[in-house]
Amino acid sequence: MPTDSNPAQPSIVEVKDMDFAYGSKTALHGINLEVERKRVTALIGPSGCGKSTLLRCINRMNDRVTGARIAKGEVRVKGKNIHDADVDLTQLRKQVGMVFQKSNPFPKTIYENVAYGLRVHGEKDGEVIHEAVERALTQAALWDELKDRLQAHALGLSGGQQQRLCIARAIATQPDVLLMDEPCSALDPIATLKIEELIHQLARDYTVIIVTHNMQQAVRVSDYTAFLHLGKLIEFGETERMFDRPKEKLTESYLRGTFS
Amino acid sequence: MVDTPAPIERPPLRDLILRKGKRTIVGADPQGLIRGFFAANSSVTIIVLALIMIFLLKEGAGFLGTYKHELEIYRRAGLEFCDIVDRPLSEQQELSSKLRRAVTTSVDPIIQGVRARRDAAFLLKREVEEQTKLAREPLAAALEKEPAPAATELDPLRQQVAAATQQAAAKMNVPDVFTADEAKRLRDEFAKLTPEVSDLPPMLMELSAAFTVKDKEAKQKFGPLVDASDELEEAPEELRGVLDELKEEVLATKEAATTHFTLEEGRQKLLKAASKAKDPQEKEDLIKEADASKTDEPNYEESIKPVLERREELIGKVVAYAAAADAAAVNLPKEGGTAEATQLLTEVRAALPLHAKALRDGVESLRTWKQDKPVSIFTVIGAFFFGTSWLTNSSWQDFFGFVPLLVGSVVIALIAIVIATPLSVAAAIYTNQFASDREKEIIKPVIEFIQAIPSVVLGFIGISLVGDLIKEISEVPWLGWLPGFPIQERLNMFNAGCLLALMAVPTMFSLAEDALNNVPQAYIDASDALGATKLQTVFRVIVPAGLSGIAAAILLGLGRVIGETMVVLLVAGNRIAIPDFSGGPGVIFQPAHTLTGIIAQELGEVSRGSAHWQALFMVGIVLFVISLAVNGCARAVVRRFELPKA
Ligand SMILES: Nc1ncnc2c1ncn2[C@@H]1O[C@H](COP(=O)(O)OP(=O)(O)OP(=O)(O)O)[C@@H](O)[C@H]1O
Ligand SMILES: [Mg+2]
Repeated sequence: MPTDSNPAQPSIVEVKDMDFAYGSKTALHGINLEVERKRVTALIGPSGCGKSTLLRCINRMNDRVTGARIAKGEVRVKGKNIHDADVDLTQLRKQVGMVFQKSNPFPKTIYENVAYGLRVHGEKDGEVIHEAVERALTQAALWDELKDRLQAHALGLSGGQQQRLCIARAIATQPDVLLMDEPCSALDPIATLKIEELIHQLARDYTVIIVTHNMQQAVRVSDYTAFLHLGKLIEFGETERMFDRPKEKLTESYLRGTFS
Repeated sequence: MVDTPAPIERPPLRDLILRKGKRTIVGADPQGLIRGFFAANSSVTIIVLALIMIFLLKEGAGFLGTYKHELEIYRRAGLEFCDIVDRPLSEQQELSSKLRRAVTTSVDPIIQGVRARRDAAFLLKREVEEQTKLAREPLAAALEKEPAPAATELDPLRQQVAAATQQAAAKMNVPDVFTADEAKRLRDEFAKLTPEVSDLPPMLMELSAAFTVKDKEAKQKFGPLVDASDELEEAPEELRGVLDELKEEVLATKEAATTHFTLEEGRQKLLKAASKAKDPQEKEDLIKEADASKTDEPNYEESIKPVLERREELIGKVVAYAAAADAAAVNLPKEGGTAEATQLLTEVRAALPLHAKALRDGVESLRTWKQDKPVSIFTVIGAFFFGTSWLTNSSWQDFFGFVPLLVGSVVIALIAIVIATPLSVAAAIYTNQFASDREKEIIKPVIEFIQAIPSVVLGFIGISLVGDLIKEISEVPWLGWLPGFPIQERLNMFNAGCLLALMAVPTMFSLAEDALNNVPQAYIDASDALGATKLQTVFRVIVPAGLSGIAAAILLGLGRVIGETMVVLLVAGNRIAIPDFSGGPGVIFQPAHTLTGIIAQELGEVSRGSAHWQALFMVGIVLFVISLAVNGCARAVVRRFELPKA
């Protein structure tokens, strides 16, 4: 499989020769993927090809699904196999945050939503929490909009604001990696644009892995793109290069939209 | 942020096209028929509800008028006048009985020994007589015969008695309050018992005498206490004398009035029938019959005169009695013979001045009381909604104050909810979040099965099992510090509350579990992805998100509990009085009556249309309103905190 990641930069997430199965059904076959630090990596591919599954392997969100397991290979975050016995799931999720397709703020105040991650990780100091909330909201480009109504109910925000609030919530604990599963699919174009801008800025501090169905979005936001098909990683490389000169026939036909 | 484009209106043309060529059934279109069918069904429910409300209101509405009329008679006949004194005076009996108890508990320790000996001896005598009954009866019968039978006839009977008595006396189980010598003497004396001699055996005489001496001695020792008790007992005698005479007088007036109105009602019915009758002969008969039952309403002014003439006399007696009560408080010794007696004395000493004051306060009312003061409708409404006594079938006056019933219902419901809420909510959280599938399969049906137990069976359990259990637990010595322990009544509000809690648990559990189930999975995902543990997710996200549903579950449980009848009727103790809250939380172990219980108990026995009947309907209306309010609250809570659909 052709890849062109930069070997000089150490990868923060490494998927090595991984097979993943839901019970007897193998959803991912022999995935090899190295995600570069502080870059945006997009996962694209037709529906059902395993993008979400792959994304969820990285923070072990699949653990809950009965029968779901890594059948072969391993996933490493910051060099550490995340399935090692001494890995603490809480710590892993502190390092790897996640934003979902449909915005899902808690039915609490804006402030409490952002503070939630800190609170569950045992932070008691109000000062520290307050700083973290302000920083997260600022990074999520929400601070100016919301600073006067932090105690308002989160469910009163617009869809786009809610999704950015979820991003703020995910980055409040300062993870290394931020996973996003089609974060804009439920938003209108203008809200989508805002989020895309946000992703650009987030890439300064975080490593972002984003699943998207929108080719333009992949081009706009990502540095690297991985194309999956039927549970296999077909091609992985710099976005610009891949969209200009895909190496694989399959990639080309998918990008052209002449895919059957 | 961004306005979503307004929905484009569908071109009417499209509708026209769609409607073309539709089939019809007997001129109506089938869609309409189906819609109509469902609409009709739901409207039936609404109509039935409306009918129930109208019926309740119709029956209850007459109550205010009827009760007003009764209260008018109560005033005009002068019963109200007597109650000004009678009400506060009734407390005297309770105070007196407390003093008597103080005397008994003081004297008891001193006379206990001799009394036990005397009683034991008498008991033994009775046992011997019981055992020899078969032999004694023929002899006793023979002795009564006239003329007296010959000695030859009596002798064999006498011998039989002697033999049986000797045997019984020898077998006698003499308790160890007697020494061995005394026991022997008792046996010897009792062996000679015969129906021919009615004198007590000497030993019994001695024991009785010893008791009398000791009793006198003890009474002397507590002389001031005994005197005070006697004084308080006798103090109101003169007052009572006057009051009883007055009461008799006014009661006669009231009865005359009641009779008059009953006859009058019948007469009106006859006249109405007469006006409708077609046959002139029948009409005439009816009118004649009506005329025959014509009576005059008693002349209240005349009949109250003899009562009011004695007004000053009564006031004098009240003042004298109040002074006596005050004096009794001062003269009351500080200490009784036991701690209990001292406690009783303290209580009485504190209560007496208040008692005297209440009576003295009445004097002013006695002076200003007027029989022709009109009874306003607000007085009647107040007498129902704030009346503190529900008194029916009384020979004096019926009162329909529903506060005691309301308090009973509310306290029992609160007890039930306080018990049921933690049980059902905890069970719901466990089942919904932590239980394995196997556990769920056990827990859910078991809890839901409780609903299938008929409430009368639960009442049965309350009477036979829970009551005894609570009573026994309350008598465990080291639990004595708990408020209300040891309890007096097996059937009480707490007992009823426990069973109602059991009845409310299935409803509350199912609803709370639904509420937790309805918490969107997305919240749980988000919490998990942030690294929260299972417990954190449950208590920081799921439970708070389901809280409105849980609150609604609690409120609906409350509605269920307030409306429940059978259990409270059987188990709550049915005492119609406002429980005494002065003892603190121990009040929950007192018996009470309830809104539902009173209807179930009394509706079958009252005559249709009477004030009592209508009062019960009023209670029904209040109950109905409470249930509506509780359900409304539950709906409001759910609507207020509704979660967006996942
Ligand atoms: N919980 C599950 N249990 C069993 N099979 C699953 C489960 N989740 C996903 N799958 C299967 O795994 C495969 C990959 O699914 P996945 O959701 O990762 O696809 P995707 O690329 O994210 O698709 P989409 O673009 O539609 O979101 C699919 O065939 C799907 O049916
Ligand atoms: Mg997906």
